[in-house]
Amino acid sequence: MNKLTFIIAVLLLAVLSVKAQDSPFQKIMKKEIGKINKADSLSQFQQSANAFSRIAELNPTEWQPLYYQALACTFQGMNHKLTPDKKDEALAKAEELVKKAEAISADNSEIIALKGFITMAKVSADPAGRGQSLSGQALAEFGRSLAIDSKNPRALALMAQMEAGIARFFGSGTEKACSLAKQSMAIFAAQDEEALTAAMKPTWGKRIAESMSKSCE
Amino acid sequence: MKLYFTILIFFTAFAASAGTKISGIVTDQKGEAVPGSNVYIKGSYDGTSSDVNGGFSFETDLSGKQVLMVQALGFKPQETVIECNGQTLELKIKLSGSINLLTAVTITAGAMEAGDEKKSVVLKPLDIVTTSGAMGDITGALLTLPGTSTVGNDGRLFVRGGDASETSIFIDGLQVGNAYGSTASNVPTRNRFSANLFRGSFFSTGGYSAEYGQALSSALALSTVNLPLRSQGDVSIMSVGGGYTQTLTGKQNALTASANYYNLAPYQSLVKQDFDWEKSPESWDSEISLRHKWGNAANGKAGFIKAYFHTEGNRMTIWQKIPGDNGRGDRIQLRNRYSYSNVSFRHSGKKDWFFYGGLAFSHNSDALKRNADPLRRTNQLAHAKIVAVKDFSPRFSLKNGLEWFVKAYSETMTDVNRTRNYTDHQLNHFAEATYYFSNRLIMVAGVRSGHSSLAEQVWMTPRFSVAWKLDHQGQFSFAAGKFKQLPEEKIRVAQNNLQNTAATHYILNYFIVNNNRTFRAESFYKIYDHLVTYDDAAGNYSNFSQNGSGYARGMDFFYRDRKSIKGTDFWITYSFVDSKRKYAAYETLVQPSFAPKHNGSIVVKHFASALKSQLGTSWSWNSGYPFSNPNRTGEMQQKTKMYSDLSISWSYLPRPDIILHVACSNVLGRNNVFGYRYALQPDESGAYIGLPVGQGAKRFAFAALFITISRDKNANQLNNL
Repeated sequence: MNKLTFIIAVLLLAVLSVKAQDSPFQKIMKKEIGKINKADSLSQFQQSANAFSRIAELNPTEWQPLYYQALACTFQGMNHKLTPDKKDEALAKAEELVKKAEAISADNSEIIALKGFITMAKVSADPAGRGQSLSGQALAEFGRSLAIDSKNPRALALMAQMEAGIARFFGSGTEKACSLAKQSMAIFAAQDEEALTAAMKPTWGKRIAESMSKSCE
Repeated sequence: MKLYFTILIFFTAFAASAGTKISGIVTDQKGEAVPGSNVYIKGSYDGTSSDVNGGFSFETDLSGKQVLMVQALGFKPQETVIECNGQTLELKIKLSGSINLLTAVTITAGAMEAGDEKKSVVLKPLDIVTTSGAMGDITGALLTLPGTSTVGNDGRLFVRGGDASETSIFIDGLQVGNAYGSTASNVPTRNRFSANLFRGSFFSTGGYSAEYGQALSSALALSTVNLPLRSQGDVSIMSVGGGYTQTLTGKQNALTASANYYNLAPYQSLVKQDFDWEKSPESWDSEISLRHKWGNAANGKAGFIKAYFHTEGNRMTIWQKIPGDNGRGDRIQLRNRYSYSNVSFRHSGKKDWFFYGGLAFSHNSDALKRNADPLRRTNQLAHAKIVAVKDFSPRFSLKNGLEWFVKAYSETMTDVNRTRNYTDHQLNHFAEATYYFSNRLIMVAGVRSGHSSLAEQVWMTPRFSVAWKLDHQGQFSFAAGKFKQLPEEKIRVAQNNLQNTAATHYILNYFIVNNNRTFRAESFYKIYDHLVTYDDAAGNYSNFSQNGSGYARGMDFFYRDRKSIKGTDFWITYSFVDSKRKYAAYETLVQPSFAPKHNGSIVVKHFASALKSQLGTSWSWNSGYPFSNPNRTGEMQQKTKMYSDLSISWSYLPRPDIILHVACSNVLGRNNVFGYRYALQPDESGAYIGLPVGQGAKRFAFAALFITISRDKNANQLNNL
């Protein structure tokens, strides 16, 4: 009896101490990253944005909270329930945040890929008015992101989407788009999501890659 | 063992007792719920978001005095001091609105913007290149906007009853001298600068900011592309010439160099011309532009420096018939050399300071030979400008600027070695305050003062504007101001001590943009004073005075729709101008030749995906130009037939990096007449013989192939716009 309690207590302590290795920052980041990866409504994204904003305020030298707050705003800016004005408001906020993140971490493939994602969202808010002028910018941003990290699966998947759009418009082959989507899928499939989340590294975008590769089949 | 249990129990008990529950509701000042606001304890991770009904609830382990922070988009952050002692707190938070520049009201009176970001935009940068009938000319595209009149034998911008000299043109805030190519009279000119250079423009048809001066009617401010997207080479092969542009980009800087050559001779030898060219217009130009940026705005300090150099040469020789004479007429030979350089900077510093300014220099030299009489004209303009803007709060900002201009002009009759010239130094200061009463009400007030060394005159001009946003998307703005401008070079050189001419503007504007539909209505009243009058004896001016006056009043409408018809973007413009003035050689108060009463245009662009093409058409129309017929008493007693021009264009993109563009103006072949020239002396029967002033050719057809060479094959020439 005594022994058993002792063992349980020791085990408990061990578990607690393993957990304690994570700083409060890492702990709350992991929790919120888990939430945003599951979020699919405007209010959930707003909750995520608010949570990351609180974290960013306490950790002004970390780029990840700003990055995720920007990501939450971008998802809001892509929600079809919003009016074009509200979409632009959310995307302007996302742009502001991503600039702050860039000021902390320059030449970061993930941040630049997110910039391109925001540009894409701006295009989808007003395709007729912005398509011609901004799609070039989005392509260039994904290009820059991939120049830094050629294995960034998000930049690959989004770039594949852009390339597919161009191919559809010009009636040309989708080989380029599909090969990008395939590369992206392979990287997503091989990634250790838990390890990445533990390192606070982005893991989102798998669904985009999946729907891209599905359309290639 | 007991100890363990005690500790465990103690900890859980402690955790339970230390929690303070904070709940409540977030509303705006009117009591409406604010959902999605961020509610948290400052300096901690403890917090939550308000729900759909503005309600929130969370727990914290913190104790004692804490600051509860509430933030929401569109509202000022609010701090509340709370006491956490384990007891549940019930709070009512009322947020007050903050100024949101993205959605707040903007002044739209007199202003028409082309850009990508702002709401008050009427054109996109791309529109300037793709408006058919404009043939890639910036002026041509702007002439499809309200408040302008097409004057086909001139080609420049005429705004609301004002002549072309009443519009000043700026590139990156700095004035451009001789922005239009030199030409012979009644031969239309073009803007010298390629539309591809600019990412945005601000075109004001009146009531503009104190930042601009020396323009009675209008200011056109063009801003150049910041950093191009990628390194690329652009080849253009056109029916009238060709060119190459190379762009090199780095992380923080970029270099663009281009060279172009144009010659209308091959085209004009194929298509019958109504003008009698001895030597068709031929020109070359070359440009270099350098850009460098630094910092990141998020760090508080960031800036941009741009340097731009443009140089070009043109030549042409034309014969112009003399009314009442059967010969070939006057031979006019023109050689032009022009250079413009512009170095500008922008810098946003700490504590909400923002600085911009720069230096620009234009040099234009014309060697003109009318029959055997040579004339050399040189016009130089230097402009230095520095502006400081301070945002004292999100509501209030103050702009202060200092400008210095040197304007030098000379005319030499080279055969007799007779020269007339002048140099004028102008010092200007302007100050402008912007105040947001709320997101729906904005007021801007400014004053511009100046001094001219040549006119020995000091002046001060007030400007004022206010805008009010209604409950729906629409908004009203009102603008008023006084504007001064020294007379044109060719007049000032004959009489150096001429003073400022003056205009007063009143403008009322309604603007609404909703879901890709834009509607704009504007009425205006403009009073002219101290206009220069003179006697004109075949181009020799004498007997100057500044007793001229006039007015222009009217209204204009603009409707743009990118939604109603799928894949189609169109705009319709109608402008009514009632203008009379006594100025130049006019003896009485009359409607000037360049101010048709009714003006309209329709521009349609259709994107045909199946054809990989953009098809465009534009129709421009006015009710006719007044002219003086010396066979009748009085002046400006007659009016030409109405003007009408239907243009079409087709842009075909077989691949992302290739654009094939074909365009034709006046496809219906209408014989437009812009006025009549009369013989100076009556013939034997006592009648003055007249000749119509018409078009250079019935139609102008244009074809071009634009090829872009870049590492990724998706780039084309339109990408940077």
